[in-house]
Amino acid sequence: MADTHPANVPAVQINGMNKFYGHFHALKNIQLTVHRGEKVVVCGPSGSGKSTMIRCINRLEEHNSGQITVLGTELNDDVASIDGIRREVGMVFQHFNLFPHMTVLENCVLAPMLVRKTPRAQAEAAAMRYLEKVRIPEQAQKYPGQLSGGQQQRVAIARSLCMEPEILLFDEPTSALDPEMISEVLDVMVHLATEGRTMICVTHEMGFARRVADRVIFMDAGEIVEEAPPETFFQSPSSERTKQFLSQVLGH
Amino acid sequence: MVSLLRQQKIRNILLQALFAGIVLLVVIGGWRNAQHALSSQNVVSGFGFLHKSTGWDVNFSLLPASPNDPYWWFFVIGIVNTLFLGILGLTLATFIGGLVGLFRTSSNDLLQLLGRIYVDFFRNIPLILQVFFWYSLVTNLPAPRNAMEFGPLTLSNRGVYMPALNVGGWHVAGAAVTLLLALALPLWLRTTRRLASPPEQRGALVWGVLGGGLLLAAAILLLGRAPGAALIDPPRLQGLNMRGGLRVSPEFTALLVAIGIYGGAYIGEIVRGGFKAVGKGQTEAAHSLGLSPWQSFSRIRLPLALRAMLPILANQYIWLIKATTLGIAVGFTDFFMIVAVTINQSGQTLEAIAILMVGFLAINLSIAAIFNRINRAIALKGNQLRS
Ligand SMILES: Nc1ncnc2c1ncn2[C@@H]1O[C@H](COP(=O)(O)OP(=O)(O)OP(=O)(O)O)[C@@H](O)[C@H]1O
Ligand SMILES: [Mg+2]
Repeated sequence: MADTHPANVPAVQINGMNKFYGHFHALKNIQLTVHRGEKVVVCGPSGSGKSTMIRCINRLEEHNSGQITVLGTELNDDVASIDGIRREVGMVFQHFNLFPHMTVLENCVLAPMLVRKTPRAQAEAAAMRYLEKVRIPEQAQKYPGQLSGGQQQRVAIARSLCMEPEILLFDEPTSALDPEMISEVLDVMVHLATEGRTMICVTHEMGFARRVADRVIFMDAGEIVEEAPPETFFQSPSSERTKQFLSQVLGH
Repeated sequence: MVSLLRQQKIRNILLQALFAGIVLLVVIGGWRNAQHALSSQNVVSGFGFLHKSTGWDVNFSLLPASPNDPYWWFFVIGIVNTLFLGILGLTLATFIGGLVGLFRTSSNDLLQLLGRIYVDFFRNIPLILQVFFWYSLVTNLPAPRNAMEFGPLTLSNRGVYMPALNVGGWHVAGAAVTLLLALALPLWLRTTRRLASPPEQRGALVWGVLGGGLLLAAAILLLGRAPGAALIDPPRLQGLNMRGGLRVSPEFTALLVAIGIYGGAYIGEIVRGGFKAVGKGQTEAAHSLGLSPWQSFSRIRLPLALRAMLPILANQYIWLIKATTLGIAVGFTDFFMIVAVTINQSGQTLEAIAILMVGFLAINLSIAAIFNRINRAIALKGNQLRS
């Protein structure tokens, strides 16, 4: 991680941000600051706007008003600033989105070679390091279609890490996985959380939130309803909607 | 015995044998019937006529042809003509189709509309009408004296004239093959996994083969150059007609343009479908990794779209090759027309039709085989349902 940003600049700062799909008000006046190195878990019922919010952070979605500033750079129509931000923000998707026509290794070295102009030998060495970190170096020459879901998701994490991003976004990384594969992915994420990278995770894995989150954010109907450290969030949530949601996901 | 019949493998073999036997019986029966009928009409059946000279001429040939040539040579000429028209037509159609498909998948509303109008218009007019249209357009162009000039092209009712190379035919053919190899070989070298080095490290080899091939092609052309004449021979008016240059007949022009434009409409739809089949997730992943629009197009969307297109594209190519038989509608001596004239002149209907069928089967099975190979080589590995 090239440490070019002063430590006091927040990783992500969102100010009065609104997002519409046609007439549908998907995100309402979002206010959020994530500091560098912070681990934030975002949860909330389906359709509450969690994905939309984190996809605005690397501009897979465009916001309609308000400001989003990532590592000091404001996101607007300026292509150069979008490219710069995408280089620093990695994303892991629910459905992995690996490139099926490339081997695991090729998936991992593609962006470093094309975007960062890293020489192949160096990019491959880094890729192997990250594949070891997610515990599948032996799958490097296989194709995504030849791996299990859990393995594919770990490759996707390694692929993001290869760009050495400051910030990692996760959009429900375990919800497309069979139960027995969830823990292998969560283990990797817990390990990553010890490394100082900023992480913003949309997930319903409350055990994960308890273990690694510095802050849990609860969204409902396009709004941030509650944000609190995990102990407070789980033991004494302030809003009725949070309590209701927690009783549903925690299963009692 | 009964338990033997229950075994899947043995049952399959028996069924196959039964089926093959029935087909054989039908063919032999039909052949004997036909021979009987023909001999009662005093037609000698068999392929002996292949060695007789035809006594008629062809209006277009890449190979030397005269009325003294035997029938078998005319069939060769016909196949070469069909392949020539087919390959040029497919190339043109693919080029147009690629463009139209990109228009239709672009985010620009005007380009989308243009692409849609193109497809809707040219796909819904029968090909034979389009052939007639272009043919009458070319034959109604002004006479050579008032010919229209489009850059290096001269358009007149005698056909389209373009500057020619003062080079012998065999040398041109040799240079063309070399050029093709010089373009195809680097593509293969760029992608194959048969070599030890990773594809990116073959840059020097790829450029070497490309450059060397181009130089070799140029050298072959220079070697075959007619002594004492200028290398390029432009068409020019002399008296009432054009002299020099390369004349492309109205028949060939009409067929080429019609197949290119009509095929382009269909291929445009195939290209569009191919790009639609690429998951949105892969494009988003490419963007989130910081790839530029061009990089995500050339490295992710295009390779994935091509894989989705190829099987349908092979069908379309086979279909378009068969469309060259419309040559007979305007009098272009493609394979089908030569067979038709042969039947008319020699009376060897069954034999000529058998040759026609075998010829087209060979062409189209070759196309299918080539595409199957490519498909197999680039097929996505593993189970694709997950992502
Ligand atoms: N491209 C789109 N066009 C129109 N509406 C959309 C679009 N994407 C999302 N929405 C709507 O915006 C709202 C928020 O969607 P979002 O995907 O952010 O929810 P989510 O909190 O991630 O839900 P889930 O837990 O199901 O993933 C939903 O009501 C959804 O229907
Ligand atoms: Mg979501």
